[in-house]
Amino acid sequence: MNSGDERTPEAWQAALTRFVQVIPHTQALGLEVMEVAPPRVTMRLPWHDDLLGDSQRGLVHGGVLSMLLDTLCGSAVLCGLPEPEVCPTLDLRVDHYRPALAGHGLHGEAWVVRSSESVVFTEGRVWQQPERIVARGIGNFVRLGPRNTPSGFAAALFGEVSANV
Amino acid sequence: MFETFTASQWLAHTREHGDLAAWLALVPYARRIGVSAEVDDHGVLFHLAPQQGNVGNVLLPALHGGVVAAFMETAASLDLMLATREPRLPKIIDFSIDFLQAARLAPTQARCRLLREGKRMANVQVTAWQQSEAQPVATARLHFALADPDDASLINRNA
Repeated sequence: MNSGDERTPEAWQAALTRFVQVIPHTQALGLEVMEVAPPRVTMRLPWHDDLLGDSQRGLVHGGVLSMLLDTLCGSAVLCGLPEPEVCPTLDLRVDHYRPALAGHGLHGEAWVVRSSESVVFTEGRVWQQPERIVARGIGNFVRLGPRNTPSGFAAALFGEVSANV
Repeated sequence: MFETFTASQWLAHTREHGDLAAWLALVPYARRIGVSAEVDDHGVLFHLAPQQGNVGNVLLPALHGGVVAAFMETAASLDLMLATREPRLPKIIDFSIDFLQAARLAPTQARCRLLREGKRMANVQVTAWQQSEAQPVATARLHFALADPDDASLINRNA
């Protein structure tokens, strides 16, 4: 098994693609991992009419942004630790800077700001047009540590064994 | 006739008739994740159906935290539409959620409390639970701007 330092951005992109495709909700919505440069990840959620929160005004549901930011920040956590650990979301805050509009995919990125022994602090943002941030998210994740991470978690993420994550 | 309703007519209809299902039917993402609502003696009780498509952790399995967040945000905005003194269309400003326990693939409920209703802003608290209301799986709080429904179509898309 490769150690964290030897994993290339391409290997990480494949690993996080596997991660979002194993999650039923993000798999069904077609979430794509565009780029991974640990501890930063970039994703794209293609447009789908089910993302609407207000059909009449053509606005994206705010909850879609929370879901996307939770996924982005959680993925940043996976690639931001020396070795991937299971890290549930402790809390998430989302600031809605402007409405997200129907018909346009959502781009997002997130990164690890700081990892302590017990918590990983992350931040992320979502946009439709470059330079026009729709929402900013701040997510804190609990480190359960290697002892509470299933053995083979990293290997499965990297497709080194029959994937069973 | 509903198809031709404006935002302000929808708001009036929802407030007057408590027709939560008709309003939720207009919210595609809420429909996708399986949100429903009923009025009972204590206010509005919101439900999130346990759907396979809402899973975020296949190991447990547990609901996607972001889906629980979207459920609670839907609950807060609908609850607020019904609770304000005058008809107001809520626009979300910010949202904060604390995850207290993993939400299993099981029926989830939520209730809201309008903690403050100002002229322009409202603060709503949401509690979500599965087995017992006394053991929440998540709590959330949201700030909304309260827009005059007749001006609500004037969203400044260049803002």
